[in-house]
Amino acid sequence: MISFKDIVAAVLTVVGVLFVALTIAAGLIWVERRLLAVWQDRYGPNRVGPLGLFQVLADTIKLLAKEDWIPPFADKPVFVIAPAIVMITVLFSFAVLPVARNIVIADLNVGLLYFLAMSSMGVYSIVLGGWASDNKYSLLGALRASAQMISYEVFMGLSLMGVVLVAGSFKLSDVVEWQNRNVWFVLPQFPGFVLFLIAGIAETRRLPFDLPEADSELVAGFHSEYSGMKFGMFFVGEYLGVTLVSALIAVLFFGGWLGPVFGLAGWARTALGIVWLLVKTFLFIGFFILLRAALPRPRFDQLMSWGWKWMLPLALANLLVTGAVVMTMSK
Amino acid sequence: MGSNPTSATSKTLPKALSQVEGSAAEGPPSLTAPTGILGELEAKFGGEAVTPQATADHIPTVWTPVAKVREVLRHLKSGVERPYRTFYDATAIDERLRANPPANLNGGQPTSDFTVVYHLLSYERNEYVRVKVALEESRLSVPTITDLWPAANWYEREIWDMFGIRVEGHPHLERILMPKTWNGHPLRKDHPARATEMGPFAMPDEKEQREQEALRFRPEDWGMKRSSETSDFIFLNLGPQHPGTHGVLRVVVQLDGERIVDLVPEIGFHHRGAEKMAERQTWHTYIPYTDRVDYLGGVMNNLAYLTALEKLAGVRVPPRAQVIRVMLSELFRIISHLVWYGTFAQDLGQMSPVFYTLNDRERAFEIIEAICGARMHPGWFRIGGVAQDLPNGWDKMFRDFIAYLPPRLKEYDKIVLRNSLIKGRTQGVGAYKLDEAIEWGVTGPNLRACGFEWDFRKKQPYAGYEQFEFDIPTAQHGDCYDRALVRVEEMRQSLRIIEQCVKNMPEGAYKATDSRLAAPPLKEHTMRDIETLIHHFLGVSWGPVVPPGEALGAIEATKGNNGYYLISDGGIGAYRARIRTPSFNHMQTLPMLSRGLMVPDLLAILGSIDFVLADIDR
Amino acid sequence: MLNLYGPVLIFFALAAVFPLATLGLAKLVRPKFTPTPDKVMPYECGITPESDARGRYTVRFYIIAILFVIFDVETIFLFPWAVLFRTPELFYLVEMLVFLGILIVGYIWLWRRGALDWV
Repeated sequence: MISFKDIVAAVLTVVGVLFVALTIAAGLIWVERRLLAVWQDRYGPNRVGPLGLFQVLADTIKLLAKEDWIPPFADKPVFVIAPAIVMITVLFSFAVLPVARNIVIADLNVGLLYFLAMSSMGVYSIVLGGWASDNKYSLLGALRASAQMISYEVFMGLSLMGVVLVAGSFKLSDVVEWQNRNVWFVLPQFPGFVLFLIAGIAETRRLPFDLPEADSELVAGFHSEYSGMKFGMFFVGEYLGVTLVSALIAVLFFGGWLGPVFGLAGWARTALGIVWLLVKTFLFIGFFILLRAALPRPRFDQLMSWGWKWMLPLALANLLVTGAVVMTMSK
Repeated sequence: MGSNPTSATSKTLPKALSQVEGSAAEGPPSLTAPTGILGELEAKFGGEAVTPQATADHIPTVWTPVAKVREVLRHLKSGVERPYRTFYDATAIDERLRANPPANLNGGQPTSDFTVVYHLLSYERNEYVRVKVALEESRLSVPTITDLWPAANWYEREIWDMFGIRVEGHPHLERILMPKTWNGHPLRKDHPARATEMGPFAMPDEKEQREQEALRFRPEDWGMKRSSETSDFIFLNLGPQHPGTHGVLRVVVQLDGERIVDLVPEIGFHHRGAEKMAERQTWHTYIPYTDRVDYLGGVMNNLAYLTALEKLAGVRVPPRAQVIRVMLSELFRIISHLVWYGTFAQDLGQMSPVFYTLNDRERAFEIIEAICGARMHPGWFRIGGVAQDLPNGWDKMFRDFIAYLPPRLKEYDKIVLRNSLIKGRTQGVGAYKLDEAIEWGVTGPNLRACGFEWDFRKKQPYAGYEQFEFDIPTAQHGDCYDRALVRVEEMRQSLRIIEQCVKNMPEGAYKATDSRLAAPPLKEHTMRDIETLIHHFLGVSWGPVVPPGEALGAIEATKGNNGYYLISDGGIGAYRARIRTPSFNHMQTLPMLSRGLMVPDLLAILGSIDFVLADIDR
Repeated sequence: MLNLYGPVLIFFALAAVFPLATLGLAKLVRPKFTPTPDKVMPYECGITPESDARGRYTVRFYIIAILFVIFDVETIFLFPWAVLFRTPELFYLVEMLVFLGILIVGYIWLWRRGALDWV
């Protein structure tokens, strides 16, 4: 039987996760611009409110108040739905993210599969948006996006296989518990970590994998024709993606909510777990932004051949070696 | 001109290039005994077909009938020893209003309503040659030479566009700088030069549609197919409003997926009629207009213009003024290269370097500002010198900058040049061979990236560059990466030159004191001598009078060889001012460099050839 | 089942409502769209586009799509294997080696045929 208390807890978790994820994603607009500014010897947005923090609000109001533009030559329903898809699929993925011990919207036993499935859906948004725009830049961006994302998805799944194999479960909380008993996965599964990190950047289309929008080549790539809040959704969708991938890296390879507990117990310990997860997540978000500040963009064919000729064999090799090691250890 | 052509001998021409440089100063080539290339041409074609003309710049100049011009040019390209392989420039002159046509100067010249002028350059001889064709108003046409030099293509289109001279046999004779809907040919003397002569401008919807329709690209016009057997080609307009084209450049790309089948650069969106403006400004008031041609090069443009003008007027520049000019020009070379460096990285998707290099550029601008009061377009040079002496404390500013920049450059090496992604994007991409580069008239760092050690500052010293020690950086492969390498090293060499300027700045006048063209004259003269005062008054209120003649002044500008070909008919301003810019040629090589590559490569190439739209369109 | 997926459903509902609500809010705030000839043109750097964006594309993209299908299906087969590996036996490993072996032969063939190069 489902008790009233369960329902309240579930609703609270849902609202909490949703609220925190969206707040972080929106906040990243400011964080990214300020961090980039620091690394580029300039100020960044510092005028609206203390430290320019209200810039997020100003941007939102601006996006909301923009004239809505659905190109008459575009495929109208697809054009409108596309940006919503990217946001919804990424948000859905947060459902399996364990925030702290026993705090998760749904601790599915197919958690990782669910995440991979949802992240695959994201590519629809880009492809449909680019296709519906009926604009050559959008189309080129969309074609690049589809080729890039499906290529990197193949080994994204493979790169996680080592973790699954060792932990013996797709459930994310099991993965964290295994790390609690043994060691953070980043050590035994270092190649897996690197591969997943790369695939994660490719999935979120961030530099050096930002070829689908490649501003200096394709103007704005797949979302060239988008404006106002529809563009805003691609924008927030990207930041949600960054947050999700960073949080997943933290959970899968860096022990999720694990960390020094300072003798705390009960709710305080849980809260500290959440803090640890947030800290780890932000470290990786920072790393994503640093990459954007530092790296140039490879060419499309180079990207594809790295994926197929390096990442894929490496992911397979990682899996086989892990399998062999697990077997010899268990003997 | 009845002299015996056989008396001409090329033996009198010194073989070593360094000696050739000296020969320019020996005086005008004697018309009675043509030597050098003039003699060779007379020997081959006879006195009827080639008639020499003396010019203030001592560049061998011949007139040839329109029927012979292809033959003469072909002979110059491949017939003579040490040939003229580089197509340097082609333009025309509307002679109809010229007060002192060359006929009156030298006697025996053909009369001409319109003159087409070709400039060729030979690196082997270290010499230009100028070939002129006289045309009557009733028969305005010349044969094309695009089969001899593909680089002539755009020049011939420009001649058609600006003068309405038909070029027979040209593969695509169409306007290049003006809109296709334009009426008339702007550089003709009867075309209005002022907006006020042309009625108020308006762009109603119908007119806009007409203009848009005229801009539409039709692949069939360029002999392009719309599809291959397996796929439809995409015809993509890259620009004029595009973040990667560095300005209003339009490139129409024929794409198969992301692969570039062919492309057509369309220029002219930045055309402001700089050459036409010269005709209604005085020699003096035109100086600030030149700043806007290569708008990243600042006073370097002044230098090119004044090099030609001072040759024409015979003005000598005092040592201090020369060193100030060199110092500021080299600082502007660094400024221009810094902009290029950052945007080059930006084109390759690297976001940060542009902020660093523009920051450094800002420090250089502080110096420029302290000296000139302006930043990008100081218009600081004057006939015979510079506008004012250096301010107090100028040397400390330079010393600080000289100490500041090298460590920064070292850091950028690490971020950009040694970055393996950058190398992957640029090495082996967009390369031309040395021979191609020479024929296409590629100059400057782009030429040196092909392994050719050629710098006009060293080979044809002007403005006193022979007094400075510096190296000519070169690279081997002529690809995007090597072009970048050369530019980065050039910045270090420019710093070296600036350092020498700072250490050895001569004392003395900052402007010629012995020329009436250099205003203002010395105070003590104006106080005692009414002649000086009146000349000064007329020179300033009316304009400086430059003796009739013509001269080409070409310098090693930031992007390559920038030349001003000035014609005076004894008036207060240019009768015709031709601006030959490096970017024009470089942009023309774009299809050759990009065919078969991918869209990102195109952007890498655009970034690496370092052009400025104003420098292309003028 | 409901116990587990119930919260997911609530989450789905809320997460789906959010973007729709934002779009709805924007509708209330924003000015009316006023078309002009320039605005209703596809963006192509300010020039009227020649030819439609939709046409037949180079076959390269389809090849990548086919590669994806092959290798992603392979990954799916690996997933259950990885979970069941909790009781490792040599047989399991050999079994998978055979499976991967067949696949790798195909992979090498593709590589040598140049299917992995973007030409």
